[in-house]
Amino acid sequence: MTIRLSQLLILSSIVFGGCTPIRHPADEAVIMQTEAPRSMDPADHTATYTRAVLDPMYEGLTRFDDKLQIRPSLGTSWSADRTGTIWTVTIRSGVHFHDGSLLTAQAVAASFDRLLDPKRGLAAAGTFRRAVASVSAIDSKTVRFFLKQPSASFPNLLAIESVVSPAEDRIGDLGRKAVGTGPYRFVEWKTGEYVLEARNEQYWGPKAAFRRLKWIWTAEPALMNMALLSGEVDLVNPLPPVFAEALQHDRRVSLMKGESAAVFWIALDMLVKPLDDIRVRRALNYAVDRGNLIASQLRGYGTPAFSPLGPADSGYDPETRGYAFDLAKARALLASAGYPNGFTLNIAVQESQANIAETVAGMWSRVGVTLAIHQLETGVFAQTIFGDPQQKIASNTQCVLASWASANLDAEAQLGPLYRSQNWSPKGANLGFYRNSKLDRLLDEAESELDRAKRNELYAKAQQMISDDAPDVLLFYARDLAARRSQVKGFWLFPGGQVELRATTP
Amino acid sequence: MNSYLKQKLLAFPAILLLASFLVFAAVRLLPGDPARIMAGMQADQATIEAVRVRLGLDKPFFEQYAEFLIHAAHGDFGTSIRSGKPVKQEIAERFPYTLALTTTSYCFAIVIGLSAGLLASASQGRFVDHLIISSAVTAGSIPNYWLALMAMTLFCVHLGWLPLIGAESWRSYVLPSITLGLLPAAVIARMSRASLLEILHQDYIRTARAKGLSRPAVYLKHALKNALVPIVTIIGMNFAGLLGGAVITEAVFSWPGIGRLIVDAVHFRDYAIIQGVTLLTVFIVIAMNLLTDVLITILNPRIRLD
Repeated sequence: MTIRLSQLLILSSIVFGGCTPIRHPADEAVIMQTEAPRSMDPADHTATYTRAVLDPMYEGLTRFDDKLQIRPSLGTSWSADRTGTIWTVTIRSGVHFHDGSLLTAQAVAASFDRLLDPKRGLAAAGTFRRAVASVSAIDSKTVRFFLKQPSASFPNLLAIESVVSPAEDRIGDLGRKAVGTGPYRFVEWKTGEYVLEARNEQYWGPKAAFRRLKWIWTAEPALMNMALLSGEVDLVNPLPPVFAEALQHDRRVSLMKGESAAVFWIALDMLVKPLDDIRVRRALNYAVDRGNLIASQLRGYGTPAFSPLGPADSGYDPETRGYAFDLAKARALLASAGYPNGFTLNIAVQESQANIAETVAGMWSRVGVTLAIHQLETGVFAQTIFGDPQQKIASNTQCVLASWASANLDAEAQLGPLYRSQNWSPKGANLGFYRNSKLDRLLDEAESELDRAKRNELYAKAQQMISDDAPDVLLFYARDLAARRSQVKGFWLFPGGQVELRATTP
Repeated sequence: MNSYLKQKLLAFPAILLLASFLVFAAVRLLPGDPARIMAGMQADQATIEAVRVRLGLDKPFFEQYAEFLIHAAHGDFGTSIRSGKPVKQEIAERFPYTLALTTTSYCFAIVIGLSAGLLASASQGRFVDHLIISSAVTAGSIPNYWLALMAMTLFCVHLGWLPLIGAESWRSYVLPSITLGLLPAAVIARMSRASLLEILHQDYIRTARAKGLSRPAVYLKHALKNALVPIVTIIGMNFAGLLGGAVITEAVFSWPGIGRLIVDAVHFRDYAIIQGVTLLTVFIVIAMNLLTDVLITILNPRIRLD
């Protein structure tokens, strides 16, 4: 008996095609990300995609709305004293944690106290510990925060610090089981497969749109694209620009474009020759054709960077003067610095960003600069770039390609770690060992200024000062990209790439 | 029990102990700091140090190793840095998926490989033989990564017959099993063909034919049984390769097995998981080799293990 190909196809279609279609229930949303969650404890990770998973289950005292304005959340009102170092927050009444315990000022204080205890070794506690000296409950509805120095942006910080159930924390199970107050409650975390969340029927605010949320993940970008097209997932995040280009004409799918917060830059080691010469650093800046870089590497989903702050950050000044592409100026500056024939530099770069470095290398070669690219695996990359000056010399690393997005959209959280003199690597992320005492004082002044307009003016000065000193080569602001099935609405992207579910409709 | 098996079984714990030391040392020699990775790129030095102390990574190497051995002797292989779950629980959750996938892949490989080998040897030099051999060479040369993506595009996206992700029904097993089993199937097909052709020229086969046995009886009863020794050896040896292949296949299909677990663990420098999974793999490979040795003696009593 001969089985023909057509018969085989018919048989296959009966076996497989006769089965139920591969779809999930309409009131369940499936979201696919590139990375598995790292913990169920919001204070024990610093990953954007883990924050996205935990965000529906936890809440802070404040929150960002989709216009990026600070709004009340578990705190209903807040105020600072005249010094800007003591902040008082009133806690919302009638809110319960998912374990049934009542949200009180004491519970809030306990939730923040664990961040202040260095012995806990919580991975994400550093930001809070740097800003806050102590927390205390004044009465059952009022919490007071005592800051180490005045901070006008403290409500921003409260938006990214989640309140956890102190009872669950005492059990010691928060790393595996999320217990917050959010519109969704934790159901299950199968570490190899998914995180499942269910609608919190006792939620104090508007009811969540979906009965269930399922978070899954893959490291394979092509799979994300296929999962969206096959209908197995409702949203994929982040979407590589190359797929965005392919999907933008598909009516089944809608692209989600976020406001940029991530700044990509090349840090230059200012302690070594020839990068200790400002003319050389400026020349390298002039030699980058940012428009071309964005078109070729981001398929147009980006903006040239001239300020060290991202467009979504508070205090961002779009008027900051940077270095528009000008090969003649670059060549002239290199010649005046004594390098008419260029030189060779080594750059450390993560494997996933090697293409960007290669494009820059091509551009710099036109002014005689050879860029030797060292592609490093993430763990090795982190170890290399956070070396001290001697370690950087030993590893022969003069440049680092990196990106940074401030989690709370605060200018200090972006500029402080990257440019303050006391944050030289490995203590902070000042990877090129930039030192400018005037800038340090300016940042101090801006951070403690409570008047928003004055504060923005100070930050505008700081941005221009950094740009003039050219401690790095600012490249671009990458636009956050995700894609959803067209019928699923209401998701939005928080700058930095975190998918937000407020106001979603199934 | 013969002395060979006794020796092998006695060497088992010693090999595991040596492997545990090598793995323990190797993961710590890997560049990259687990505390830095856990705390993230934006963490300051003080936070990283606090995380390091919490993970016990500030202790001297031999103190860490001694603690690991003592706990391992009590069945505690540590806790995953990443998920906070005990390593034993992580492996217990994930290993059944890998076992199920490798078993179905192996069944596929053995059935397809042996059938193709038999068919090819029975039609030596003819079109079917050439077709099978060239198919086996092609199947052995296609990277399973590429094959998986092509198959997913056709069967999951365009036809919608099979699920793309997860391991929730029998349909989830079809593509990963075929993808993972194709290479060993090709190897088994070529090996069994070669082995059978050699056997078919033996005198006792001629005798079997001369005494009037039917063709299937000659093939299945006399030729195949004798040809199985090298085939079983290849199958046993290929099992380790199949576990290695599972790492890629699981990553492509988002399969929740130990292949994906170890890839993620290496990425995050999750020392406890790397150690646990590697020791489990060492155990399986040794056990499979032992099982292969025993099977060979059963298939061919002339071979003695001692």
